[in-house]
Amino acid sequence: GSTRNVDMSRSESDLTINIKKATNIEETAPKRKHVRSCIVYTWDHKSSQSFWAGMKVQPIMADEVQTFKALITVHKVLQEGHPITIREAQNHVGWIESLGRSVIGEGMRGYGPLIREYIHFLRAKMQFHRHHPEFNGLFEYEEYISLKTINDPNEGYETISDLMTLQDQIDSFQKLVFSHLRHGLNNECRISALVPLVQESYGIYKFITSMLRAMHTTTGDDEALAPLRDRYEGQHHRLVRFYYECSNLRYLTSLITIPKLPQDPPNLMSEEDAPPAL
Amino acid sequence: MSKVIRTVKNVTKGYSTTQVKVRNATSNDPWGPTGTEMSEIARMTFDTSTDFFEIMDMLDKRLNDKGKNWRHVLKALKVLDYCLHEGSEHVVVWAKDNIYIIKTLREFQYIDEDGKDQGMNVRVSAKELTSLLLDDERLRNERKDRKSWKSRVSGIEDY
Repeated sequence: GSTRNVDMSRSESDLTINIKKATNIEETAPKRKHVRSCIVYTWDHKSSQSFWAGMKVQPIMADEVQTFKALITVHKVLQEGHPITIREAQNHVGWIESLGRSVIGEGMRGYGPLIREYIHFLRAKMQFHRHHPEFNGLFEYEEYISLKTINDPNEGYETISDLMTLQDQIDSFQKLVFSHLRHGLNNECRISALVPLVQESYGIYKFITSMLRAMHTTTGDDEALAPLRDRYEGQHHRLVRFYYECSNLRYLTSLITIPKLPQDPPNLMSEEDAPPAL
Repeated sequence: MSKVIRTVKNVTKGYSTTQVKVRNATSNDPWGPTGTEMSEIARMTFDTSTDFFEIMDMLDKRLNDKGKNWRHVLKALKVLDYCLHEGSEHVVVWAKDNIYIIKTLREFQYIDEDGKDQGMNVRVSAKELTSLLLDDERLRNERKDRKSWKSRVSGIEDY
């Protein structure tokens, strides 16, 4: 075998410490090293049960910053954890929803609306993954999925439109985050929620682009696909704007590379354009 | 000073010759790993399976080290990159099985006391290595042809 040499007896207690530290009371980003340890745990153990159990015993509902950090942590683990994490997460949707009850109205530090919108988004994401189990948490491009889709144009149409609905939800959530940035204050905690949103929106964008291209090539039915093309163009422009605004946040650009999209949407009916780079 | 402490640790903790070689190549010294160190480690991945696992375990430890020891992480990535090219096929299998260790380093963070972003080099190296591991054909070609990758992973002399 070529698996890692993991000390299984220690890793459980380490996980608890990492969850505790990732969701502590400080108004900062959840520290990457602690989030990473949670992600790595799910791969080493091919299970996320201890992660969920560990989350549930933390007193995160007592404080809105802690609640928000827990949501970011959950989102990152869903994105980057072992694929089983998304399947197992379906049993914890109720718990995620219950986090919304922790804060009334705006909240002491203004996290109320952000927490509720985050929960709304995560619920939509979980629902998408339930209907489309072939996708991973970051929608990383897999050739076989777009091939599968082309074999059944109706299914493909539905998948693309479900992806677009999720993309719209990311867009309204990011707008809310931007509108809650406070001038002259440390916005690190709020900004760090944009990290998984940039990554997820780009994954979805690349997917939609290649799937739509493939659908145009195989069905040859440009007219039937017109509504999807229109929606695609609208989303393209909103995404350009979102990434542009992200590129002005220095703290964010030090964390991740913001994708660069062409100003105009690529032509989906021509195979001449190279697909967007991964 | 750190070198003296490392030598003492190597003895008191009972590290094998193989482990000591990897530890030295991925130390906190502001230079290295040298080409000589890396090619020696890569050659040892062909030896006994004990040697192979000792090398991988030590690299794994280094890859998962904390931010303050960002040099451990960065150098372990360099040594792994080198071994993926010049080492045994087992290294390739190991790295593919454990790609999440490398993938998750693409967001590695460490800002030192002077406010300098020392995580940048780790993030860039992890990105590079991830895309290599996801591209079977490129890796196969680079394992055949030294020239195409040698300049990228040649000895790093100074940080």
